[in-house]
Amino acid sequence: MKRLTLGTLAGMLMASTAFAQDITLTMWTESSNAPESVFAQEFSEMDNGITIDVREVRFDDLVAETLRAFATRTNPDIIAIDNPDHAAFASRGAFLDLSDLIAASDQIDIENYFDGPRSSLTWDGGVYGIPRASNTIALYYNKDMFRAAGLDPNDPPSTWDEFYEAASTLTDPDNDVYGVAFSAKASEEGTFQFLPWAQMGGGSFDSINTEGAAEALDLWKRLFDEGLTSPDTLTRGQWDSTGTFNGGNAAMAISGPWELKRMASDAAFDWGVTLLPTREEGGERASALGDFNLAIFANTEQADAAFQFLEYYDAQAERIWPEFTRMPSKKGVALAPTGDEKIDSAAPVFVEQLQYARNRGPHPEWPRISKAIQDGFQAALTGQADSKAALDRAAENIERLMN
Amino acid sequence: MQRITQTIRDGVGFDVLLIAFALLYLFAFAGAPILYNVILSFQRVDMFSLGSLFHELSGWENYIAVLNDPLSRTVLWNTTIFTVASVSFQFVIGFALALYFNQKFPGATWIRGLFLAGWVMPGLVVGVLWNWLLSGDFGVINWVLMSIGVINEPIFWRSDTDYSLIAVILANVWYGIPFNMILLAVGLAAIPEDLYEAASLDGATSFQKFWTITLPMMRSTIGAVIALGIIFTLQQFDLFAAITSGGPAGSSMVAQYWSWELSFRQFDFGRGAVIAVMMIVVVLGVAAIYVRSTREETRL
Repeated sequence: MKRLTLGTLAGMLMASTAFAQDITLTMWTESSNAPESVFAQEFSEMDNGITIDVREVRFDDLVAETLRAFATRTNPDIIAIDNPDHAAFASRGAFLDLSDLIAASDQIDIENYFDGPRSSLTWDGGVYGIPRASNTIALYYNKDMFRAAGLDPNDPPSTWDEFYEAASTLTDPDNDVYGVAFSAKASEEGTFQFLPWAQMGGGSFDSINTEGAAEALDLWKRLFDEGLTSPDTLTRGQWDSTGTFNGGNAAMAISGPWELKRMASDAAFDWGVTLLPTREEGGERASALGDFNLAIFANTEQADAAFQFLEYYDAQAERIWPEFTRMPSKKGVALAPTGDEKIDSAAPVFVEQLQYARNRGPHPEWPRISKAIQDGFQAALTGQADSKAALDRAAENIERLMN
Repeated sequence: MQRITQTIRDGVGFDVLLIAFALLYLFAFAGAPILYNVILSFQRVDMFSLGSLFHELSGWENYIAVLNDPLSRTVLWNTTIFTVASVSFQFVIGFALALYFNQKFPGATWIRGLFLAGWVMPGLVVGVLWNWLLSGDFGVINWVLMSIGVINEPIFWRSDTDYSLIAVILANVWYGIPFNMILLAVGLAAIPEDLYEAASLDGATSFQKFWTITLPMMRSTIGAVIALGIIFTLQQFDLFAAITSGGPAGSSMVAQYWSWELSFRQFDFGRGAVIAVMMIVVVLGVAAIYVRSTREETRL
């Protein structure tokens, strides 16, 4: 009798769940706190018969894991993918071309997105996703340490020379303070951080070995050689590096707006943000265009449901900045005040810096191009080759990959 | 018909069946993957063509590319150093501990069992722990070394190209000691007590007993432990993934990690397979030593 009741109960439960959730989609993303995860949760709770299961995949493993899944056709329906990696999938037909769906949509208009993010997700005339957000990197600095070292907290370094001088002045080994924290890790993060410096030096990913790029790498090398940055900068990502800034172990940090929330709560000092210093006064500005795109896999059986989620995501553009301190990729969305004075004063700096942000690629071979750049700066920073020679070799490898 | 059932139930047919099952299993789970790997090493395969059954043939191209890669010499050297250093330290320290616990003091077997706690932990967990211990700015190891005055400046174990490989070796030696100790302890326990008693009557010193009884009696065990140690060390992947990722600038890159990186980071499965093939050849050689030493064991 008891078994019967339990069985009936289970049957009823199964029936009711089957009724309420007609469609289940899977989505992979780097973080369950990212906007797409939060929005997916909201979307699932809505009365639309669609549930989205979110799986978190470590950032460093996302591309590899996804490619592996795609090769064995066990990929998710939706993915949030780092924008430089988008082209590799789009060019091979892994992602669904959304052109027709977008043409019929009242919500999504591809012309509403800024050029940079838009070009990262278009390939050969097709549109293969929507941007999640945009971000870029700038220079954070500890105003209290500037004051203590006799530097003007309202006049942060604006050229490479000033930046080096400031790092040198602010470094204080007795108190475990490095001049600057950034990331020269052999991963996409390292490329993301180095490329803007190379671009300010007149280089680009397809001509990485300009004189100015080598000069930038020399500057990085000097930071290492003179102990102005932790040697672990070579192996540490941006989040961990900026953590040392928040903890008072670095006087400056190079990172993006995704740091703002944590910094506002963790950093027990006065801090500010400024544009990346240029090669010389009034020199060329550059920055990296970061953040992810949302794409639908071509082999999904639920393209319409997945696209509905993309429409829902697009409709939340105003919330991206105040809730996640990420910058909307949609034109005409003002950065609403967050209520935190420091975050709000950082907003215009990132908005300005974003104007100079450049895409990585788009190129289907981007992961390997990026690897060549990483090998280049790491070889120079560890003293295996001088900056120019290391970048020459990187350029040679990249040229081979591009042809 | 009846004869067939008869021979299967009791006769030559049964033996054939047993052999067939064993061979089928070996082929399905060892032979075929290895064969497939060898075939892959002669093909041009990337992630998007991995799913298809046939790939473009590339001849010796992958082999030439791997051998010409500037990293290959570093990798060969690093793999050799990593294996030799890990296995020798694991063995010597493991042997010393095995002898120590063979002294039969109260609780010896119990404490010896506790040593296994390190070995049963997953490699990635061990790697993350050592990652913290070895951290440059706030790691415990640097703090200890500086407090006792061995070093004045912190060593950046993971980020300094001179130390990155040593960092992984340190972790791997720690990780492998319990395994060596347990296997050697078993070997020690198998030596008949009366041999030592007879030697004592003849007035042999402890060192003479060790040199003329323990070592010769342990020869096959030692051979097996070292062969297994080499195989496990060549399989060690987690610690590299957790501590250095083969970097910085390839300074701690070893064959097993390089193979993975080529395959699953750069999606060049052909080249990844080339390294795997080369490693199989080495491991087969070591396995032959292992088989020989265990065969002698049964002869005893």
